[in-house]
Amino acid sequence: MNPKSSPLLEEILQGKRRAIAKAITLLESSNPKSFDNGQELLESLLPHTGKAMRIGITGVPGVGKSTFIEAFGLFLIEQGHRVAVLAVDPSSPITGGSIMGDKTRMKELSQHPDAFIRPSPSSGVLGGVARKTRETMLICEAAGYDIIFVETVGVGQSETMVASMVDLFLLLMLPNAGDELQGIKKGVLELADLVVVNKSDGVQESQAVTTQSEFRKALQLLSSSKSSWSPQILLSSALEKRGMDQIWEAAIKFREALQNSGEWEQLRRSQSEKWMWTLVEDGLLTNFRNHPDIKNSIPELEQSVASGKTMPTTAARQLLDSWQSRKK
Amino acid sequence: MSHSKSPSSPTLKDWEKLASAELQGDPGSSVNWKTLEDIEIKPLYTSEDLEKLGYSETLPGFSPFTRGPRATMYSGKPWTIRQYAGFSTAEESNKFYRENLSAGQKGLSVAFDLATHRGYDSDHQRVLGDVGKAGVAIDSVEDMKILFDQIPLDQMSVSMTMNGAVLPVLAAFVVAAEEQGVKQEQLSGTIQNDVLKEFLVRNTYIYPPSPSIRISGDVIEYVSLNMPRFNSVSISGYHLQEAGATAVQELAFSLGNGLEYVRTALDRGMNIDSFAPRMSFFFGIGMNFFMEIAKLRAARFLWNKLIQQFNPEKSESAMLRTHCQTSGWSLTEQDPFNNIVRTTIEALAATLGGTQSLHTNAFDEALGLPTETSARVARNTQLILQEEAGIPHVVDPFGGSYFMESLTESLIQESTKLLNQVESLGGMTKAVESGMPKQQIEAASARRQAMIDQGEEVIVGINKYQAENDEPVEVREIDNSAVRDAQIKRLEKIRNSRDQQKVDSALNAITAAAESAKGNLLALTIEAIRARATVGEVSAAMEKVWGRYNAPIQSISGVYAGAFPDQHKISAVRDEVKAFARNAGRRPRIMVAKMGQDGHDRGAKVIATAFADMGFDVDIAPLFQTPEEVVKQSIENDVHVIGISSQAAGHKTLIEQLMKVLRQENSEDIAVVAGGVIPPQDYDFLKKLGVACIFGPGTPIPEAAQEVLSAVVNNSQNH
Repeated sequence: MNPKSSPLLEEILQGKRRAIAKAITLLESSNPKSFDNGQELLESLLPHTGKAMRIGITGVPGVGKSTFIEAFGLFLIEQGHRVAVLAVDPSSPITGGSIMGDKTRMKELSQHPDAFIRPSPSSGVLGGVARKTRETMLICEAAGYDIIFVETVGVGQSETMVASMVDLFLLLMLPNAGDELQGIKKGVLELADLVVVNKSDGVQESQAVTTQSEFRKALQLLSSSKSSWSPQILLSSALEKRGMDQIWEAAIKFREALQNSGEWEQLRRSQSEKWMWTLVEDGLLTNFRNHPDIKNSIPELEQSVASGKTMPTTAARQLLDSWQSRKK
Repeated sequence: MSHSKSPSSPTLKDWEKLASAELQGDPGSSVNWKTLEDIEIKPLYTSEDLEKLGYSETLPGFSPFTRGPRATMYSGKPWTIRQYAGFSTAEESNKFYRENLSAGQKGLSVAFDLATHRGYDSDHQRVLGDVGKAGVAIDSVEDMKILFDQIPLDQMSVSMTMNGAVLPVLAAFVVAAEEQGVKQEQLSGTIQNDVLKEFLVRNTYIYPPSPSIRISGDVIEYVSLNMPRFNSVSISGYHLQEAGATAVQELAFSLGNGLEYVRTALDRGMNIDSFAPRMSFFFGIGMNFFMEIAKLRAARFLWNKLIQQFNPEKSESAMLRTHCQTSGWSLTEQDPFNNIVRTTIEALAATLGGTQSLHTNAFDEALGLPTETSARVARNTQLILQEEAGIPHVVDPFGGSYFMESLTESLIQESTKLLNQVESLGGMTKAVESGMPKQQIEAASARRQAMIDQGEEVIVGINKYQAENDEPVEVREIDNSAVRDAQIKRLEKIRNSRDQQKVDSALNAITAAAESAKGNLLALTIEAIRARATVGEVSAAMEKVWGRYNAPIQSISGVYAGAFPDQHKISAVRDEVKAFARNAGRRPRIMVAKMGQDGHDRGAKVIATAFADMGFDVDIAPLFQTPEEVVKQSIENDVHVIGISSQAAGHKTLIEQLMKVLRQENSEDIAVVAGGVIPPQDYDFLKKLGVACIFGPGTPIPEAAQEVLSAVVNNSQNH
């Protein structure tokens, strides 16, 4: 145990904001030493985790994810909960930099003492986005946040990743069904435990009701991702802060159903198993790439493959062979 | 005498030859210049250009009004010199107004402080650093009465820049006049009441877009029925230009906003001729001299065309009348006397373009509020144009100029394209919601900053011909806490002496009208203000129903670096950032924040996008934060540095508080840097507080990024 991380441990358990933030930075660090410290810290925090409800939120850009989290988060705080929000913002592949405006979209929540919002840039993290978000989630749980929101960037492969680390996966939809159904991949719809038609306000309210019934039909044709729960479709207006109570009620019913059937624990166990393998894969790859023999031959081989001089298969075999015969 | 060319006259071809010889063999078009609007300017215009346009002559005073709204323009009556001013307390502003009026100023223009703009009374905890800064604090009709003490409101035209808190402020003006013995129908002047542009730039709104538009509609309706000499809305392109809009964007978006107000009024069943003649405009005049003249001409043409679709009977309905102000953005903190020259050129453009009234900025406004001396010079600039330079004698002196008519036409065409884009989104309210105009303006602003930082656009004294010994100039200092204490005392007095029951029932009526969408909110607010309700209380009565709006903040990336011609400079900074990241285990992370009620976020946005382009991880804090909130969010995101952007003079109070909270939270490992409008004499004060770097306007961003990076490194070594 690194001596530096133990005061951090105490402070995290006391819910000190600064300590939580510093711990997340350690986990995200690309500096191997800080990273190791972070992992050690995480291990000592693990016994204090697992008590929160983990909610993944997705939906197409413009559906109002942040506004929804702001409204839902404030509602939950009013009910006595403590809410953490984790969001990943894309880093520019060209400049490496990023702009994170999440707090501007969750203004009241970001000011609230019972909320913790941490946006993270997607680039430059050992082990990738998935691992970082999962571990950050655990830090927040250890610090006493009992509702964790994980916001996905938009529509794409990140949904599957987020769904594999949360208890409840919530899909936000817009109240114009026809076009929407086209835009959402069937796979994403199948992952959803709750579908919420947002922006059900003003002139769009009747449209939202139509969309709700259309989705009900559509979902009946799809297989559900949980055996003890069939997905529900609800309406909300994050702007007018309506519908939050019904959504929370459904979430509680969801938890009860899964806990009674034993699926809740089973799900978390299989998620842990997956997590273990992700860690093994990441660890192996990092070790592989950082081994001096490999590291030195990578640039040349990459170039050779790119220019067509060497076959990819040959190059891969060469790298794997030198890994097999590496000096320990 | 004949003007036709004799056979031996040189032709355009001859000119081409001669030009090419002068340009060492390059064609004449090689010196064409592309403006920020993407309009190509040739070195020579001739009658051929007019023929191509199908140009036909028009006359001032007649549709389409390109040459001016009045037949005689300034030859009959010169433009109104209307200086915008207001500081700290009503007493001090009143004294200043009366001095100016006796020195030749003809109209008043009131600047309110940010607390008033955002509908907060001076004792509200969120406005600690804002009271009395950048304008006068008005909490109730009692303040308004002091503001206009001994100023006859039946004779004086008064312009008020107010959008968010338009109801209580206009009501307080009406009631103050009433208690002076002046009737509503005698009042003349203008209320800005252009809330749509607040959602595009500046952010001085209170409620969400649709209730805000309803308020605008209520004001337009009430004024058209009761205050026939008063302009019910002044549609502002000025703030768009200040936020970085090009002339085309300024025209298209402001005219689009105007169209939206027209439709709002028509939807209520009002007749176009009952309100359109009381709509006025407000444009910014920057340093692109010919473009600004053409802009005013194009604006009149376009507005006429837009209004004709509603079949007005009165010709005044389609006649665009405008106030102009010289650009505050074009003023520099360095070598500030240059600003007198800039303002003169801009004022000349505004008058050659045919403005109805004009505000000229004081040369020290990049540093702080004007002093008596600088205000006098600003006013004299206009008096000299009017009385020495002979500008007023001829109407539209550029009319018929090959170049000016071509430029006017180009602006008309480009703006029409953009306006059509707005219309295809369903009008300006929808466009605002889509974020399109805001994004376009911010991209234009970031591109321009890159050009300036690289010296492609020259600003004398900033990126070229810098003065070696910059003489310090005197800056007006406002003791913000003294103003606040005085306001709080007066508020207490009012609250103790009024009939509370009467106030409560008047406020309840406002809440009910907000809820039901029935009743005129201005009429109800006048009742409440008469009963001594405060600005904050009236605003809160509607906030109960509508909430306080937060505009979504969109960010753009890649624009700054893309427009920066010297990519080596950018990659040098990127390399430094990378080296830092290798060491620290992550990229440098900065929280760009604004504190208090100052919503001018052009600077903050440009910094955010440019720093991200240089490889920083940039967090943007919500607007209107207290120092405590900024600290909380910075700790949470574990940033290396907080970058405070300040444009409204609240920096001393707010940064002092920020540093205090950082210490209390044991988070001095977070460095603090600041930028914006900060007078050099405050630098010492801020440095002593621990602010690592202070950037004045004109600091090239790549250099600022490098300084921030070293500040982060230094700070982490010390903590």
